[in-house]
Amino acid sequence: MKAFTALTAAELRLLSRDPASLFFMVAFPLMLLVLKRGDSGAVPGYLAMIAAIGGMGALPGLLASYRERKVLKRLATTPISPVMLLGAQLVAQVAAGLAGSVLLVVVTIAVFGAQAPGDVLMLAAAFLLCSVMACALGFVVAAVVRNTRGASLIGMLVMFPMIFLSGAAVPRKALPGSLRQIGDFLPLTPAVEALGDAWSGTAAVFPLLILAGIIVAATAAGAALFRWE
Amino acid sequence: MEAIEVTDLRKSYGDTRAVDGVTFTVRAGETFGIIGHNGAGKTTTVECLIGLRRADAGTVRVLGEDPARRRRALAHRLGVQLQDSSLPERIKVAEALRMFGSFYRDAADWRRVMERWGLRPLARKAFGDLSGGQKQRLMLALALVGNPEVVVLDELTTGLDPIARRETWRLIGDLKTAGTTVVLVSHYFDEIEALCDRVAVFARGRAEATGTTGELIARTGTASLEEAYLALEGADR
Ligand SMILES: Nc1ncnc2c1ncn2[C@@H]1O[C@H](COP(=O)(O)OP(=O)(O)OP(=O)(O)O)[C@@H](O)[C@H]1O
Ligand SMILES: [Mg+2]
Repeated sequence: MKAFTALTAAELRLLSRDPASLFFMVAFPLMLLVLKRGDSGAVPGYLAMIAAIGGMGALPGLLASYRERKVLKRLATTPISPVMLLGAQLVAQVAAGLAGSVLLVVVTIAVFGAQAPGDVLMLAAAFLLCSVMACALGFVVAAVVRNTRGASLIGMLVMFPMIFLSGAAVPRKALPGSLRQIGDFLPLTPAVEALGDAWSGTAAVFPLLILAGIIVAATAAGAALFRWE
Repeated sequence: MEAIEVTDLRKSYGDTRAVDGVTFTVRAGETFGIIGHNGAGKTTTVECLIGLRRADAGTVRVLGEDPARRRRALAHRLGVQLQDSSLPERIKVAEALRMFGSFYRDAADWRRVMERWGLRPLARKAFGDLSGGQKQRLMLALALVGNPEVVVLDELTTGLDPIARRETWRLIGDLKTAGTTVVLVSHYFDEIEALCDRVAVFARGRAEATGTTGELIARTGTASLEEAYLALEGADR
């Protein structure tokens, strides 16, 4: 437990020193909110976007660079297990995303006078599941693509269409029918739905179950494919 | 008692026979040197000792355990410095030592390790901003922060300045006094002579000869470890 806490704390500290992570998980969603003049209807989507940027945009490249630079190899000579290492990465990404999300929600309410979310607990649960799912997909990318540039690139290629077609960045209503259909099959879509439902106070359990299922499948695949080197 | 027993170890990468039947033992408390040409199989052997690689054939026992099967249990009792590894660019020296210390059941006080290895002035420096020798020194300190019973060092003083090198020798000497078993890979004869109780000369994936410096010199009928080494390396070229 001590090792896990220390590993997670170190990883969080490293994230807080990374200007790109800070920008995309904290400043960028706030900028979008300002551009939207504080429209709280867009906020659940932005929360999903924060989670996707961390788990799919940043995590695969980060892990691949640890592998390429033999950081993982060094850790493999210590009592740390792969599960502990990936767990620490996950907790750090989720915590960073949560911080960015809380800030975004607070600004939406305090600065733009939006109504508080209808079901805060469900909103938190939906965000956690969404963020864990994004990380689990990120682990799969990092396990399949071994070099840093490739893993970053594939991570982005997975992330961008998802953000645009799942309703995270733009409402799905605004998309042409064929693109909307693609969105039906993307794992981020139920996440945006769950976040939106919780925000409006009409939370349903079904999208959360879908997220949990995706998490289990992706985690199993990522763990089976993981290599220290 | 034997701390390490390697019997007929073999490991290939594709067509390359990196290690081709290596046998040696290291007694508990001994400082054991491995010397040999580039590509002789030293790093591959060492990586089998610490459980990073699984041998194709032969047996490896470290503190009575098979490292390939019991990597994590053994890792608590093992300190490792790899020939080629690194840390996240932005982690600070003190943070790295504290974090690695937290991994081990019976760790040393990381602040004292930092002090002993002269890393205190660098405590708040990021790994990516350290010089090559400073990185090397940090990696050595990290190998010892877990209070290991067996220490494996792959090229411990490569990249160190002359003073840091002597200082490192002194600290390795302290390990011996404390009864720690040390395996060190080196390309420097003076280092092997100053530190090692026994040495194995590796060539083309085999341990050509093992013994004290004096024994190797006597066996080859030469006058120094360097000449003995050259004689052994060239033996069947
Ligand atoms: N990961 C790898 N994949 C393929 N071949 C490898 C790999 N690692 C080592 N080899 C090959 O195995 C042989 C032994 O390499 P090893 O690293 O064990 O040598 P070494 O004695 O440590 O050499 P050096 O003094 O240069 O560090 C070399 O021919 C090397 O090219
Ligand atoms: Mg080597």
